[in-house]
Amino acid sequence: MNLAYLDAGSGSLIVQALVGGVAGVAVAAKLYWRRLTGRFRRQPAPRAAEQSSGGQSAGSQSFGEQD
Amino acid sequence: MVAPYPAPATRTTAGTGLRVDPGSFRDPTNQVLHVDGQILRGLDPAAAENWRRLAGNDFFARLVAEGKVCGTEPVDPADVPADLVGRWSTVLRHERIPFVSYPYEWSFGMLRDTALLHLEILRAALPAGFTTKDGSAYNLQWRGAEPVFIDVGSFEPVRDGEPWAGYRQFCQTLLYPLLLQAHLGLDFQPWLRSRIDGLEAGQLRGLFGGTRRFRAGVLKHVHLHDTLQARYADTSSGSVRAQLKDAGFSRDLVLATVGSLDRLVRRLDRQPPASHWSGYRETCTYSADDRTAKERFVVEALAGASRPGRVLDLGANDGRYARIAARYAGHVLAVEGDPAVADQLYRQLRADGERRIQPLVMDLADPSPGGGWGSVERASFAARADADAVLALALVHHLAIGRNVPLPAVLDWLVGFLAGAGAAGRLVVEFVHRDDPMAVRLLANKSAGLFPDYRRAEFERLLEQRCVVQHRLELPSGTRTLYLGTPRG
Repeated sequence: MNLAYLDAGSGSLIVQALVGGVAGVAVAAKLYWRRLTGRFRRQPAPRAAEQSSGGQSAGSQSFGEQD
Repeated sequence: MVAPYPAPATRTTAGTGLRVDPGSFRDPTNQVLHVDGQILRGLDPAAAENWRRLAGNDFFARLVAEGKVCGTEPVDPADVPADLVGRWSTVLRHERIPFVSYPYEWSFGMLRDTALLHLEILRAALPAGFTTKDGSAYNLQWRGAEPVFIDVGSFEPVRDGEPWAGYRQFCQTLLYPLLLQAHLGLDFQPWLRSRIDGLEAGQLRGLFGGTRRFRAGVLKHVHLHDTLQARYADTSSGSVRAQLKDAGFSRDLVLATVGSLDRLVRRLDRQPPASHWSGYRETCTYSADDRTAKERFVVEALAGASRPGRVLDLGANDGRYARIAARYAGHVLAVEGDPAVADQLYRQLRADGERRIQPLVMDLADPSPGGGWGSVERASFAARADADAVLALALVHHLAIGRNVPLPAVLDWLVGFLAGAGAAGRLVVEFVHRDDPMAVRLLANKSAGLFPDYRRAEFERLLEQRCVVQHRLELPSGTRTLYLGTPRG
């Protein structure tokens, strides 16, 4: 259970990886890589939905909105 | 947040001595309460479970034993005040902090040492499986010139794979004010006083353009931080936490971040221009005879029948009289308007391991107002600063001539600090005559005839209206007079 009462801030969480030295930069690189590949991987899903329903396109989404 | 002494006006449960601390509401899992002079903390079931784990941990016991975390003990369930039974799962009792002060009343060295202590506590907690929920400068207080972490409710078990939740708050209330002073030479106190949550990365970024961005810590903690905050403004911190964990963020990385912050803060220092007040005591008009007479007067005023609990030294300068006062009193607040002079005093007191003299930075013509929610989340200086004795040495002329405060108002204000002490209170006040070189210098900057009442006879008349003058002494130079007064009932 997450007991945080404070909004830690998404950017403030990510920047800590870059403050933490080489190992942190590796984590940040991995985070970005996963976000990037995640975007490509997720693309077929809306198309499938579009084809089956014939409805409107989900359109392109920003990283943030995917989450 | 440990509450002020004396207590500011706030919510009180009718018919009981229970008062909820007005500065303790942000974390709903626990709350600081004042009951019959005790500082208690109520914990909800989740916070109580954290406490049980924390209390059994060696790192916590060690930090308390070293005085780095305030003394804390559970209240026996049989002794929990009736008003709290059923409301809180567990109740803790905290050590009382002599005087609650705020970061905008601290000098650079004080803020820096609180930042280092916060990081030290985190470095001790992390290997033991704990972290702090937040990273606020308001988590810390002072025993004299020694910082102490007071927010025991902030400790919680660390969740592996997550960065420190308090990092942003640490930047806003500790790191950024230090960067402002160390790199730009700007006093941080007014910034913190006007913004309860501290400075934003975006605000600071504007001040660190050009080559200034390459100063220690600025590129990462300010520019990059601001960029990422803007870029991820619409992404929930929950999803970012999950992604960082997935990408391999580890507890070691949190420790590396904290270590990097520690190294950065240690590199920061203030490089003040020589303040015109520095060395004031040496360069002013005091002769050695004056100084000796003045010191003896202060000793005799404070070494009287009852030992003062707290002495307020207003305009403390290099702390000479605060140190004398500390021999005869439980606690001395050394209030100094010049941040550089206060910082110098703090560093000396800290080096001496002084635990009964607390320096404070404050312009006495503009003391701290109430702040935060309802203007009571942070209490005004007037609501906190009661005393058994007040030292106002070489001060009145600065307020009356330098700042145009009418003499009756200056005296009302000085006597007001002694309201709780009544006739046992002691006011030691120095009147600098019109012909004293310092008064002459101040008067020369104002129109002639602007202060016709600034005369010794008028000062004495006003003082005697408010106090019984027990003792008076004209210093050998003949241009300054000291008075010891006790307030009239």
